[in-house]
Amino acid sequence: MDDLLNDFLAETAEILSDAGGAIVSWEADPADRAQLDAIFRFVHTIKGSSGFLSLPRVTALAHAAEDALDQVRRGNRTADAALVSAVLGIIDRLNMLCAALGQEGIEPAGDDSDAIGALSVQERPEPAATPAAVAGVPLRRREEDFGADLNGWRSIRVPLPLLDSVMTGVTDIVLARNEFARMLRESGADSATIAAFDRLSDSIAGMRQSVSQMRMQRIDKLFAPLPRIVRDLAQELGKKIAFQTSGGEVELDREMMENIRDPLIHIVRNAIDHGIETLDDRVAAGKEITATISVAARQSGNQIEIEVRDDGRGLSPDALVAKAIASRLVTAADARALSPREKLELIFRPGFSTAAKVTAVSGRGVGMDIVKANVEKIGGIVELRNDEGRGLAILLRVPMTLTIISGLMVRAAGQYFAIPRGAVREILLESGDTVRIDRVGGGELATVRGEQFPLLRLETILGCERDSDDDADDRALVIVRPGQGQSYALSVAAIHDHEELVIKPAAPMIMATGLYAGTTLPDNGRPVLLLDVQGLLAVAGIDASEAGRNKDGLADAEADALATRNAAQLLLFRDTDARVRGVRLSVIERVEDVPTNALFESAGRVQAQIGGEIFPVHAAKPPAGDGNIKLLRLHDGRAVLCYPIAEVIDIVRLPDAIQSSAAPGLIAGVVLVGGEPVELVDPFWLMEQHAGGARAPGLREPLCHLADDHDGWGANFLAPILRSAGYRVTAAGEAADETPDLLLLLSDDDGKCDHIAGEVPVIRLRSSAAASAPDDHSVYRYDREGLLAAMRRRVGGTRP
Amino acid sequence: MMEKLYLIARIADTRVALRSRAIHSVVTVGAPVEVPAAPPHVAGLFALRSRVFTLIDPHVVIGLPPVPVAAGQRVIVIEVAEHGYALLADEIEDVCFIDAPETRIAGKLLPGWARVADAMIEHDGASLLVVDPSHLITLPSLKAA
Repeated sequence: MDDLLNDFLAETAEILSDAGGAIVSWEADPADRAQLDAIFRFVHTIKGSSGFLSLPRVTALAHAAEDALDQVRRGNRTADAALVSAVLGIIDRLNMLCAALGQEGIEPAGDDSDAIGALSVQERPEPAATPAAVAGVPLRRREEDFGADLNGWRSIRVPLPLLDSVMTGVTDIVLARNEFARMLRESGADSATIAAFDRLSDSIAGMRQSVSQMRMQRIDKLFAPLPRIVRDLAQELGKKIAFQTSGGEVELDREMMENIRDPLIHIVRNAIDHGIETLDDRVAAGKEITATISVAARQSGNQIEIEVRDDGRGLSPDALVAKAIASRLVTAADARALSPREKLELIFRPGFSTAAKVTAVSGRGVGMDIVKANVEKIGGIVELRNDEGRGLAILLRVPMTLTIISGLMVRAAGQYFAIPRGAVREILLESGDTVRIDRVGGGELATVRGEQFPLLRLETILGCERDSDDDADDRALVIVRPGQGQSYALSVAAIHDHEELVIKPAAPMIMATGLYAGTTLPDNGRPVLLLDVQGLLAVAGIDASEAGRNKDGLADAEADALATRNAAQLLLFRDTDARVRGVRLSVIERVEDVPTNALFESAGRVQAQIGGEIFPVHAAKPPAGDGNIKLLRLHDGRAVLCYPIAEVIDIVRLPDAIQSSAAPGLIAGVVLVGGEPVELVDPFWLMEQHAGGARAPGLREPLCHLADDHDGWGANFLAPILRSAGYRVTAAGEAADETPDLLLLLSDDDGKCDHIAGEVPVIRLRSSAAASAPDDHSVYRYDREGLLAAMRRRVGGTRP
Repeated sequence: MMEKLYLIARIADTRVALRSRAIHSVVTVGAPVEVPAAPPHVAGLFALRSRVFTLIDPHVVIGLPPVPVAAGQRVIVIEVAEHGYALLADEIEDVCFIDAPETRIAGKLLPGWARVADAMIEHDGASLLVVDPSHLITLPSLKAA
């Protein structure tokens, strides 16, 4: 009975971990029938086996979930967020029960009606006026990544030490076989014996292959819990995140996998919590609202690379330094001496946390220092690729130790070394026709068919003398590509052969040289060091980046990127009247989130105080109530106008087809976005309504000088009107360094006009409403429109 | 009673009692494979059945010049942090059960020995240095070599 229970628990644990990922991807695409069927089978299997073991709570939970899913399968019910959450709730409860079962051996008593009840809750239609608080997590997963077919659970569990001993045993057999083969050859055995031995030899080789694969596991096992983590965390934080995984078919040693599970989860959580900005910040930065986090695995030479990339805000070296100084990790003096790279690497210092405040999500005392320590423990490294403002990629490189790789054996300094075959692009002879070697400024350069590679000589890097037996003229050149976008030429004394090699980690002091990735024991029983093709570069201090070697390709890529960035984008938002509208992103300066009391009504229009400035707001009256309101800040290059909205929805590419409105107004036209009509706001009309809004500072306004203002009428009555019309005003007695653009004479006395400098236009104001003579060009001083019109004619005022 | 078991060996003309806890076995090695650019106390690699061991020259660890490795030499195989190492010794005497207590080191040792030796012990009318073999694996951090 115990065995049955153990089997059930192991099987269920596996199913549940797969189910979480499957459910989240089904939520993203409810039409995905295959995914739904898979989930249905998951719960069905649990129900079946738990019934057999008489575990009533487990059976009831699985049964309820199966029922609900069956309704969906029959089309009686649609898959909505409430249902998905409820099914996830059931999965969580099952996990909990299984954990208790594992510890106590019996099913704990308890009530599951809450979890089961949640299944029958139908999602209410979303009220139009309140913005949806839940951010969806669209999920894309390449099909081949979604794991092994569902029959993959047909497996048995074996303790790792047993596997290890089998593996060592087989390796010993191989070595004994080699010894025996040599003795057979020397003893001159007859062909029948040799043929029999060859058969034995072949089956040993096959067995070695299978045994090594036993320890290996597809890396998508490691990825399985991630979609669920992303979904839950994104909902909690109100962020929209698209999560992608790729390279799930890469295989990794089980033990290695255990060691990177926690670091990987931590990095993903960090990316969601700290890396991805809030919706508003993303809009302000001109990014897609839906952030992308991708986890990709690939085999690169003798290493497995796992990259977690987000398109969030990236790391700011200066902010990191400030933080490190504040938490007394470095002194200000030390900080100044740090290189940009060292500044970024501050995040690996113990006690460092980038969050401005500790959040419930990642502020748990587990920092990047632990991540780094865990990865380094297994001989791996953590690399940061920061693009400030555009995102961060964290790269975990772990050695493929305990794995079998195809290796190229090379000789240098009278000794053999192995190079991972996967990193070798080409093998050439140094003396070959296609190869030219130049010595340039003390360095060496190999040109192969027009392509240039930095040249490294293996003996030089290893600090050895060349072996005198090696032929100096007949050296081989291995073109090595250690990673994406890097390549170099490695010169070795000779190429030996290819061999399948079992790689094991070397002692720490040997790994610390950075030159070796591990040791291996080929069939001759003499240990061979596996070269770390990436580490050689670092030790040699050579930049092997291919970028810039080929000028044309680089320019094309840049032009492409520019074109993408220049495509017109549309900011979708929910207006205060709950309609979905859009406006060209390029006219939005930023999105402000201000308290409602920052908006006030004054001078017949609504204004907003943001920081130390006041901007006009497009609204009939200030919003009522407390709380915050979001304002789109439109900027036409000169003036700013705020447009209140309920919430930002998304940024999309502006569709080409626009159905224009008949008459000019707030709405310039209608476009279709994702099949839904969206009203396009006309920024031109808006700006026109608000008469240019508040002037952006820095523009030169015409200078108007008031002359003969004896009674102060000019300064008190006229100047404010002129200023609001966009003039600067000086009065008599104020020292003006520049020549005025216009003179206003406030006196009826004709004679005074001759002191005016010739070039400056003059307007005379008269105090009587009626003109004194037909050729009188003076303006009545209370004729506001007439005066401004006259001024405009002279200098071109800034406003009607 | 494992604590009382010591392997007595002679390293750099000094008789030492190595604590036996970490000691795996004593084996003979063929010619080791060199590790270019490795720290000076790494004398090479050799295979024992299907495992690869790192050969360590304790002479370098205690600050003396390295000794050459002779084929067929016996070495002490130890295990530290899941890696297998082998220590070169001038002579490997015996594994002994020593009942005497470990005592504080009296007198001044060469700095190299002072770093690795934990205590002294009386055996057969001679004073031996008690050394934990794992101390012989790591080099002191060199100051500007």
